[in-house]
Amino acid sequence: MTRTFEEFPGVEWVEGTGDFIKVDDKKCDGCACCMKVCLAGCYEIEKKKARIKSLEKCMECAACWYVCEKGAIDFSWPKGGTGYRSDWG
Amino acid sequence: MVDTINIRDEYDVIVIGAGFGGPVAARKCARAGLRTLMLERSGSVGEKVISGLTIPFYGFLFGPDFIRDGDPPIERPVDGIINYIIKDIEKGDIDIDDSLRIPRPLSPVFALGYNAYCKPFCQWEAEKAMQAGAELRTSCTVTGVMRENGKVCGVVLDSGEEIRCKLVIDAEGSQGLVAVKAGVRKRYPPEVISLADVYDYQMSKEEVDRIFGFTLRFCWGWDEQMLAPPLGHGNGLMVWPYRESVHMCQDQCLRMDKGEVPDLKELFEVYHRNITSQLPWWVEEIAPRARLRARMWEGFEIFVGLDLELRGMPNYTDGMILIGDAAGLENTELCDGVPTAWFSADIAADVAIEAIRSGDTSASFLKRYDERIKAHPIIQWAISGTNRYNLRFAQEKHDERLLKKFIHEGWGLGGFTHVTSPLLQAILESIEKDPTIIVAWLRMYFRYYYNWIHQRYDYSGCKYEHKDIYSRKPMMAAVLFRVALDFMEGLLRLFSPLIKIAARFFKPASRYGNNLVKMLMPVLEPFWKFLLSLEDKMEPATSWINRFIEEADPAIFASPSRRGGCYDQNL
Repeated sequence: MTRTFEEFPGVEWVEGTGDFIKVDDKKCDGCACCMKVCLAGCYEIEKKKARIKSLEKCMECAACWYVCEKGAIDFSWPKGGTGYRSDWG
Repeated sequence: MVDTINIRDEYDVIVIGAGFGGPVAARKCARAGLRTLMLERSGSVGEKVISGLTIPFYGFLFGPDFIRDGDPPIERPVDGIINYIIKDIEKGDIDIDDSLRIPRPLSPVFALGYNAYCKPFCQWEAEKAMQAGAELRTSCTVTGVMRENGKVCGVVLDSGEEIRCKLVIDAEGSQGLVAVKAGVRKRYPPEVISLADVYDYQMSKEEVDRIFGFTLRFCWGWDEQMLAPPLGHGNGLMVWPYRESVHMCQDQCLRMDKGEVPDLKELFEVYHRNITSQLPWWVEEIAPRARLRARMWEGFEIFVGLDLELRGMPNYTDGMILIGDAAGLENTELCDGVPTAWFSADIAADVAIEAIRSGDTSASFLKRYDERIKAHPIIQWAISGTNRYNLRFAQEKHDERLLKKFIHEGWGLGGFTHVTSPLLQAILESIEKDPTIIVAWLRMYFRYYYNWIHQRYDYSGCKYEHKDIYSRKPMMAAVLFRVALDFMEGLLRLFSPLIKIAARFFKPASRYGNNLVKMLMPVLEPFWKFLLSLEDKMEPATSWINRFIEEADPAIFASPSRRGGCYDQNL
């Protein structure tokens, strides 16, 4: 099953990725840097902690992982054959 | 407990990732008789590679022979760059530096590079690797490596499956998750990572031909105008004409000098809105004719080469080699990682073949990979350019002269003040290996132009099609062309030992190339400008050359080994 979103034309997301990005509550200091660099809007801040709102539009760029100084974000690739795909890259 | 001593290696080499670099390494290993497996995490090759680009000419000239002598799917030749230096958008005060263009009639056949979509190009490469005997498994995410006595001896997939091999070539891209997890290198800091926000606009070929021709458009402007990412943070803005579309990229580093992380989600929308509503040529020429087809983004390691500590991070370990973006080999000025991915893939494959044949894949043996990367003139030049990084100093002082200087030396004719030496060295090294490569280069340019005319991407079927329109009638010019090239090749072969000695003799002198160009610039610049001004006068000659190529039998542009088969039938 694939999903598309009007705001990101030309890209499809194949479902079944699994939770490939996780936030460690103990390490997160709620700086919101992950939220600022995520163009897909995957993150939200709740009780001064970042949490994954949804990975459905994630383009797997890892920007969140790079900017997390506290090392609170565990970034891995989604399951093989899932996640974003595009013909126009 | 599994007795690992009795487990046979399933493969000699496993290549992680089938982007631009992976298939090059896989193909070479497979051709050398190594059991080679490519593992790709996407469902089909190339659909996660972002994003489209100009692959510069030096990638094709000095890169893998099957690409140089083949027919990879290209979108449009590139004959130059127009730099728009936006000083005051409100007043329409925009200066232009378009000094880096190839004059007619050389353009567009002798191109500065070729634009391409990633997916068809990577698929074409992977197909070549498979034809050479490499296996490909898609929908396979590598989650880690297996180790035996500390040495990498295979990979682990997300399914839990373990596959053993003698050597792993990691071509997974800039994030390098496998390499970081395996402890080969560290995660790059946000200062050197740029997030590229890419838009693909559909447009008719006739309109792209008329508006852009073969020329890229870059925009640079003072930060406060918010027209493009801040100077020194990335590309500013690049617009590439494709066959029937226009690709646009704005990119910005995730952080600058340990400062605050910018709100890129908001900023990219502001830049894009401003540029598409204020830049005169976008508003007047592009906006009425273009339809947004796709938007996507990806991070890339733009400034790794400029940080000595990061540059010094290991690119190999016991049983494993990192190539391309995974090894931090992004071009720091042109932001193009493809040529360096190809070069490093070629070198990695050579080292892999030597290592496996000698039965030693230890780090001490693989060290030669790093040595060859450090000795490669184009790779070292590519990861050393400072003009893009230095744009920030022009902004700090709001110094227009400095801004124009960096732009001219980065993306204008001034670039030859730092690319001449490495180019000369690479040319002489290639000639020293095989002088007939000169003819292969000539054939490549003509064949690529032929392909640009005759290939067309079938967007519905996602494959390239060839359409022959040449007359099968023998043309005198074609016969002469073929005879001339064959004769030249014969001469080069005949005098090969002498030419090789001459190339070896002159190679050390290539180091003076940059200084020589710097010295001659006051003469070269006006001369080049004069050549460019002759465009109209050169039109008849340009048309004749273009028509000759368009109507010729493509067999005359094929490398001799492929003459019988005309051009590539496997697109």
